[in-house]
Amino acid sequence: MRIVFCGVGAIGSATAVLCRNLEGSLVFVDFDRVESKNLLAQAYVKPSVGKNKAEALKLQFLNLHGVKTEAFGVRLTRDNVATLCGGADLLVDAFDNQDGRRLLSDFARQTTTPLIHGAVAADGTFGLVRWDEHFVPDAEDNPGQPTCEGGAHLPLLGLLSATLARAIQDFLKHGVKRDSFVTLGAVTPTPYAASST
Amino acid sequence: MANLNITYDGMSADVSLELDRPVSDGDLRRIAVELIRSGEVPGMQLTQMRPDAFQHYVVDRFRGPRGEERIYLRPKVPFGAR
Repeated sequence: MRIVFCGVGAIGSATAVLCRNLEGSLVFVDFDRVESKNLLAQAYVKPSVGKNKAEALKLQFLNLHGVKTEAFGVRLTRDNVATLCGGADLLVDAFDNQDGRRLLSDFARQTTTPLIHGAVAADGTFGLVRWDEHFVPDAEDNPGQPTCEGGAHLPLLGLLSATLARAIQDFLKHGVKRDSFVTLGAVTPTPYAASST
Repeated sequence: MANLNITYDGMSADVSLELDRPVSDGDLRRIAVELIRSGEVPGMQLTQMRPDAFQHYVVDRFRGPRGEERIYLRPKVPFGAR
């Protein structure tokens, strides 16, 4: 079982850590580098600052948890998406931009690869775990809308990451695709009919 | 009968709606404001809620497992969307 995490920032890195006990190969894809400010909101430790996020997470998994993973420190594009995601049994979208989400969604639909998305509102009050069958990437309200930095929304990010990790676990163990809304007060499953659009 | 779920300011609740005709996303946003102002949404009574509180919210429409209409009014989740 090959699980490819696309984007290992706040949502992706925390979710991956909670998936470290799953039977299967974890693969990380991210072009970005770890900055000091990321340490407060993402699953990185101080010695990882300056390293590529995918490579840093791979090192942390090996050194802290004894788990071997794969890392690709590149930006996902239309030219390399088939190479990076082609062998995946499950894709996890934890990107921070609409273009990346759409690219991944297009690939998953073309290849019928299961894809689950994790996303959070900019004000940190709400998060969404949704399988690709029901997912449409939202546009931002204003260009350049700030992303979550500095750990401002850490409790919600933790809840969202745990919910996403549980959804991944349920799919791998039982084949169940579970969507959820996440607020600080509750995690609410969102039931749909199988044929709903 | 439709089931409307409203998520606002960290709260989330369901409310049943009797809809005798299809309603637009804009209508739903206005209905949601009225429901919350009047206290008909469990756990949410904001009598001074702004009329445009849901202006940038997303309306998702699905069919539930038993064919019922489920409508979700929720914040956008752009998280750095470009």
